[in-house]
Amino acid sequence: MSEDYNDNKTIQAQSSEAISGGGSVSPDLDYVRPAEIPDQDLYHGHSFLTKWVFCQDAKVIGVQYFLLATFTGIIGLILSWLMRLQLGFPGAAGFMTAEHYYQFVTMHGMIMVVYFLTALFLGGFGNFLIPLMVGARDMVFPYLNMVSFWSFFVAVAVLLASFFVPGGPTGAGWTLYPPQTILEGTPGSGWGILLMCISLILFVAGFTMGGLNYLITVLQARTRGMTLMRMPLTVWGIFTATVLAMLAFPALLVGALMMTLDKVLQTSFFMPTILKAGEVLEYGGGSPILFQHLFWFFGHPEVYIVALPAFGIVSDLISVHARKNIFGYRMMVWAIVGIGALSFFVWAHHMYVSGMNPWFGFFFATTTLIIAVPTAMKVYNWILTLWRGNIRMNVVMLWCLGFIITFVNGGITGIFLGNVSVDVPLSDTYFVIAHFHMVMGIAPLMVIMGAVYHWFPLVSGRFLDEKLGKWHFWLTFLGAYSIYFPMHYLGFIGVPRRYFEMYDSPYMTSAVGMNEFISTAAFIVGAAQFILIYNIIKTLKTGKPAGHNPWKANSLEWLTPKVPPEHGNWGERLPVVHRWPYDFSVPGAKEDFIPQTTPPSEVAHTEAEKT
Amino acid sequence: MSDPKIEGLALKPGFKGMAEDTSSDQTMFKGVHWGKAMMWIFLLSDTFIFSCFLISYMKGRGSTPVEWPNPSEVFALDAFGVPVPLLLIAIMTFVLITSSGTMALAVKYGYEKNRKMCGWLVLATAIGGLTFVGMQAFEWSKLIHEGVRPWENPFGAAQFGSFFFMITGFHGTHVSIGVIFLFIYAYKVFAGHYDSGKRGWFTSMKGDYVEIEILGLYWHFVDLVWVFIFAFFYLW
Amino acid sequence: MSETDKQDQTTTHKIGIYLWIWGLLFVLSFFSYMVDWYQFQGMLRWSLILFFMFLKAGLIMAFFMHLFWERYALVNVLLWPMTAIACFIFLMVAEYQYTLFTRLFYFFVGG
Repeated sequence: MSEDYNDNKTIQAQSSEAISGGGSVSPDLDYVRPAEIPDQDLYHGHSFLTKWVFCQDAKVIGVQYFLLATFTGIIGLILSWLMRLQLGFPGAAGFMTAEHYYQFVTMHGMIMVVYFLTALFLGGFGNFLIPLMVGARDMVFPYLNMVSFWSFFVAVAVLLASFFVPGGPTGAGWTLYPPQTILEGTPGSGWGILLMCISLILFVAGFTMGGLNYLITVLQARTRGMTLMRMPLTVWGIFTATVLAMLAFPALLVGALMMTLDKVLQTSFFMPTILKAGEVLEYGGGSPILFQHLFWFFGHPEVYIVALPAFGIVSDLISVHARKNIFGYRMMVWAIVGIGALSFFVWAHHMYVSGMNPWFGFFFATTTLIIAVPTAMKVYNWILTLWRGNIRMNVVMLWCLGFIITFVNGGITGIFLGNVSVDVPLSDTYFVIAHFHMVMGIAPLMVIMGAVYHWFPLVSGRFLDEKLGKWHFWLTFLGAYSIYFPMHYLGFIGVPRRYFEMYDSPYMTSAVGMNEFISTAAFIVGAAQFILIYNIIKTLKTGKPAGHNPWKANSLEWLTPKVPPEHGNWGERLPVVHRWPYDFSVPGAKEDFIPQTTPPSEVAHTEAEKT
Repeated sequence: MSDPKIEGLALKPGFKGMAEDTSSDQTMFKGVHWGKAMMWIFLLSDTFIFSCFLISYMKGRGSTPVEWPNPSEVFALDAFGVPVPLLLIAIMTFVLITSSGTMALAVKYGYEKNRKMCGWLVLATAIGGLTFVGMQAFEWSKLIHEGVRPWENPFGAAQFGSFFFMITGFHGTHVSIGVIFLFIYAYKVFAGHYDSGKRGWFTSMKGDYVEIEILGLYWHFVDLVWVFIFAFFYLW
Repeated sequence: MSETDKQDQTTTHKIGIYLWIWGLLFVLSFFSYMVDWYQFQGMLRWSLILFFMFLKAGLIMAFFMHLFWERYALVNVLLWPMTAIACFIFLMVAEYQYTLFTRLFYFFVGG
């Protein structure tokens, strides 16, 4: 499958700039350096087991990740329904006790952040798109990649098993703060927290294997002509998020391990001296704040692990469906990298009221506000990409627009919470719930949905139904706003988060109706997601066939010889890249898009030809 | 090792070379094997794990109002009736550095395709590692015998035992995994898998002496971590 | 990377360099052991411990792990993330001092 490089070219072109910058048409214009490394050998599965179950094809692994993450996500969704049922209509669900409520809160949070969003973006989209978009045959370590998925599978199994152990799953909140996490009286303080820690450790181990694959594939296995600055922003987003994950998950691993030891061996890493019913427990001398630091040293990059792939994907979707190059590509890349780097220096803004060193407020409020700058640049660039674009108002574009709106909304409330003096009265209220659901719940979800409608034709060869898609979008978008917008108000009047019931607090009279409204909206939005599942099942068999490159996109994943792409992606010859993936509506070009593999000589007659 | 020759690209040294490598196509780390790049990134991630452990240890030790046991006395060993501070630890350090040296030479001979020499050196490294693990087991049992437990100890702050067993245990696990792989790789070297390019068990990649360097990176990292543990846990 | 190194591309490094580093590591370990033997205390102990530690770590990374001969692209990718760790350490020093202060203040002084 190796390519023939023996073209006797004598040019000493050193960099891509020197090659593509030439003005006149000459054969040298299309020169791309020969391959540095031989083509990758792949293991092709023979049986059902090696083709679909223990498969080493990144695309299949991506779909496996996607399906399993979606499955856990639906469990998280059902948990949120139960919580909203309790909050909107207290006592409506007979079995719901305060303990159950805490357990559902905890599991909902942990599932959605780690096992749903992280796994979906990095495991799902990362596996499917990275090799295709950079022009590789597969991930660089296919076997490791397969093990990565099955570790994730076991991690999910262990997590869900905690529903069935004595005491049920842990109910300490998704942040798992000690000391209450492992003290009696907190639901699931026995088996629940233990299984949670084990599951997290497994997840981190599995993710490390996957993450190494994503990083090395992007860094070392790009195709000829594919420079870092010619990669689609999707790859940039997933790549940077993976870097963050590789450096942030260690803190979670260490925290989970020490917590396990505190639980099992009665060590006191995080456990201070505790008086329980007048009796001193065996613990003593530990520091609960330490766990919070470890957790948020992971936790804040985790926010961007979810957000950065969404940023990247939405940039590509907007560019393709507005038929315009992304505005400020380099700025977008540097913003992604900058946000990623800064995200390691902002973690304690989650801890303003924790009793940490009070001087930290200055440091972390400053860094937090600095990180808003590259984030705002990205928003401006999305809007400027849309500006005077040839916008296709299809479902994908709707999701993108929905993302921009919810993200701006959630981002602005983030600026409130980043300031210590504003955060102190607002922390632990529904304002915080509204903020992070808007910014890292709904906004990335909108991108996921857009991405599903965008790439479904690539995965299956058929379009999803547009009409159902529009129903899905409007119900989700309007419904999500109905849920989270009123929550800001609830936060302002001081309704605390994580309360099982509001009882007879004076401010609650005005909140009762609102809670009922929010809950009703939550039921509708949750149900609306099943439209997508119905849509997928329906169109898998009967959908409109998509054919090659249905969206007229430029990036490599649409340019495979077969659709859907087969194992090895590229057939006999690897693609050669000559330009960035955003050559849309180039003046003078025959069509309004120029795929990345089009050599300069073919479009040399156009007036504007510069990538 | 480094210094690759790549067609159509004049590799420049220093930061200029870095800028060109980064902006070029195909690979960012020129001439670096996939497995080696992976091991480096993995070690970076692992560095963060050990850093988090040591930072936690610093926070725990720094903030306790109870007296911290004096490691110089706790880890002393009687030699000919005289207590010598940190004697065992000094020997362990010696053994680990020795094994690191043999590993470095194994990598060198591997690249020179000196199969015998490389194999023996990898085997020597494995035995050094095994000795280290054995001595650590001895140290642990001695301390447990003296009443040090993860949750308490007779010398002072309870966190002393907790951090000691956790951090050295985690490091010891790394050493043990390394020893297992060293034995496997010693076999593979002697069997000539890296001369014939025999494919590994789980991978479609062809065998190459670069795998010895990758293993070496891991082993040197284990030594590196020990340098930090030695400084922060035993000397501080 | 000097010109002579470039000439040396196809062959491996001379054995002497490894033996030198090996020997240096033993000597440095011996010195750091001596810090404990002579029971230096205070800032002197601290600075000596850290000095020998970083020297040893640097030698292992630079020569045994070949970072000295690697291209800057790899070296920089590996070293820059350490700033996050440095920041973490720096802040946790401030944090443990504050925790100790609150403990002494509230437990012993009595608030």
